[in-house]
Amino acid sequence: MPQQEKLQQKAKEILLEKKADVVIGYGKVETGNIGAVFITDPERTGELVWNNLCTTNLSVYLKRKEIKKLGKPCIIVKGCDAKALAVLEIENQIDRSAMTVIGVECFGVQDRCEPQYKCASCNVQLPPHCDFVIERDTKQSAPQGSRYEKLEMLDNMDSKERFEYWKQELSRCIKCYACRQNCPMCYCDVCVVDKNRPIRIDTSATLKGNFAWNILRAFHLAGRCVGCGACSAACPAGIDLDLLNLTLAKASEENFGYIAGVQRNVEPLVGTFSPDDKEEFIR
Amino acid sequence: MSSADTFEPKVIAFVCNWCTYLGADLAGTSRLEYPHNLRIIRLPCTGRIDFNLIIKAFENGADSVLVSGCHPGDCHYTSGNFHARRRWILFRELLEALGIDSQRIHFSWISAAEGTKFQKFIKEIVEKTKALGPYNEMKEIVRQANT
Amino acid sequence: MSQIISRKTIEQLIGKLQSEGGHAAAPVAAGKRYFFRPLQKAEQLVLDGKIMPVNSVKEFFFPPHEVICRYQYEGKELQITDAEPFEKEQIIFGARPCDAASLPILDKIFAWDYQDRFYQQRRENTTVVTLACQQPDNSCFCTSVGLSPDTTSGADAELLELGNDLYEVRCYTEKGKKLFEGLTEESVKTGKTAAPPEIRFDMERVSKYLSEHFDDSIYSTTSLRCVGCGACTYICPTCHCFDIVDEGGAAKGCRVKNWDTCQFAMFTLHASGHNPRGEQAVRQRNRVQHKFAIYPSKFGAVLCTGCGNCTRECSASLGIRPVLELIDKKAES
Repeated sequence: MPQQEKLQQKAKEILLEKKADVVIGYGKVETGNIGAVFITDPERTGELVWNNLCTTNLSVYLKRKEIKKLGKPCIIVKGCDAKALAVLEIENQIDRSAMTVIGVECFGVQDRCEPQYKCASCNVQLPPHCDFVIERDTKQSAPQGSRYEKLEMLDNMDSKERFEYWKQELSRCIKCYACRQNCPMCYCDVCVVDKNRPIRIDTSATLKGNFAWNILRAFHLAGRCVGCGACSAACPAGIDLDLLNLTLAKASEENFGYIAGVQRNVEPLVGTFSPDDKEEFIR
Repeated sequence: MSSADTFEPKVIAFVCNWCTYLGADLAGTSRLEYPHNLRIIRLPCTGRIDFNLIIKAFENGADSVLVSGCHPGDCHYTSGNFHARRRWILFRELLEALGIDSQRIHFSWISAAEGTKFQKFIKEIVEKTKALGPYNEMKEIVRQANT
Repeated sequence: MSQIISRKTIEQLIGKLQSEGGHAAAPVAAGKRYFFRPLQKAEQLVLDGKIMPVNSVKEFFFPPHEVICRYQYEGKELQITDAEPFEKEQIIFGARPCDAASLPILDKIFAWDYQDRFYQQRRENTTVVTLACQQPDNSCFCTSVGLSPDTTSGADAELLELGNDLYEVRCYTEKGKKLFEGLTEESVKTGKTAAPPEIRFDMERVSKYLSEHFDDSIYSTTSLRCVGCGACTYICPTCHCFDIVDEGGAAKGCRVKNWDTCQFAMFTLHASGHNPRGEQAVRQRNRVQHKFAIYPSKFGAVLCTGCGNCTRECSASLGIRPVLELIDKKAES
């Protein structure tokens, strides 16, 4: 049976058995593209779609109060998105016993008709930590790329060139906060940039304000970002924000052997410590 | 006279209340002279030193920043400096990737008994910053923001 | 007979403008997308009627960030200085006709109960040269809001591609004529504009329905997949909300005007903590109502040019068009 049909059937079962009130999945939306759909009626599970255009990370909807109101969720995740759930669970943002997770086996998705960067080095075709996994009948081999390949571009520059590069890129930032809103990990009730008594981070879309915001965003995701790439995909200014997240993911892995979202029963990286943490720069 | 001789850098030090601040105090009471370019901001613990403070210092015209607290194991609150250390390890990598000059950000452990270490380290930072010159790249960004 | 110009002449024109201290802006490639940006050098200019730059040219009239005034304490004396007026000459090349059409709409709002000299000065000093639309995509809906790819509203002059780096020039205003005076040659060639995209909804019906139904249950479903960012409004040619913020310290700082958007929860948050638009559905309602009922009732035109930017760039594949289509369906039945 095709994967999509199996998925629809499973979702229907879950709604009929009242294990969940709403299925958060992919479907064809009015624009003709694939977008998020929220299905509460078991008879409408036939609208669920699963193909390589299912790019968005649906776990972002778990933080939306409008979605929380729909009741107990059943969420459909790819391997990369499942990692986000693991981090949310570690940080006590979701109650796994009150939700159902359907994982779909994935061999890469596309964004604006191009394969997503993250897919070239993905090793989680079968999503981990799920209640149900919908496998595909025909398998493909896992890609062999390195997760940090993209960082070579920055590594090949000297410090001055990197600064110039970011000045160019961040000059286009308009502070629409699409990066924040599309990130499953940005779940704060009030973001620090929205605190205005006093203002902590300039709200101005100047280079000064844009550097401050993007440093803040990236660092608040240190050891938490699972590399789903939703920020880069959403940025209307076309800034590859993922470069900053990847930098920190690489640093987390190299210094602490920590990869966010791989394990469910670990402590958050930042927020805990070890007396054995190694560095060479503190005098 | 070259500009390197006349340039007086602004160095902001974020220090913890229990160790480095007392180290600075000891340097003072021991009449150990160190450059006047330093502006000390006292915080309860290095664990409280938010990375945003470092960015804010540069936004406000700092040429160098020092972050300093208790030696590992000596934290007044048991583990604040361990938490801070983990954050700095990551934060430095982020600044590196952004091309922000990491030579201008200094970290140290200075205890309440290390007045001499404080004096020496401040001297070193100020000399190094003088050699680097003013942090014009950052100052230019700040200037642009207000025009 | 038509008037034609070569790309080389346009580049020379830009070079001359820049050497005289003026600004030129045009679509510039960044990664795989195009953005309207100030040109560093004339060669950067991209004139291609098929491309869809992400942002709108509105930011050259109403920038994301603008200083209004500065303050500084001199001893006990407070000094306040107004921001310098915008006096440079500015030319925008390659604006999409639907983008330029927003300017006459914005003119009304910035000269309504308050005369916004910031906007008006920029408007006076700017010449807008559009580039004929060659290929509407499936986000476009200019025909649904009463415009079409051959709209000339807001354009001082228009370029139409002829191939081989040649363009037909059509001047619509004195500013446009002055800009191209003596630079064009006569020719028999004429350029073409793309065929109009299909009409997606009945605007009259939508506007009427909206003015009769301020609140509607439809938004609670149409807004579900919205994640609440401000991308749609910031790249919209007609959205014009801003916030006034004081930046700096007690001794010195400036008062600035920054873009703001009704899609943020912060937009209507009261100091008490109460938020009259606490949910995305209500925020979406505001955006739709403002564009298709409130603004038309005040100024007699819809606050939308059908450029499709909001739908094209929406990370949730939403934007305003799908909502309007659904409202139209509801109004019809």
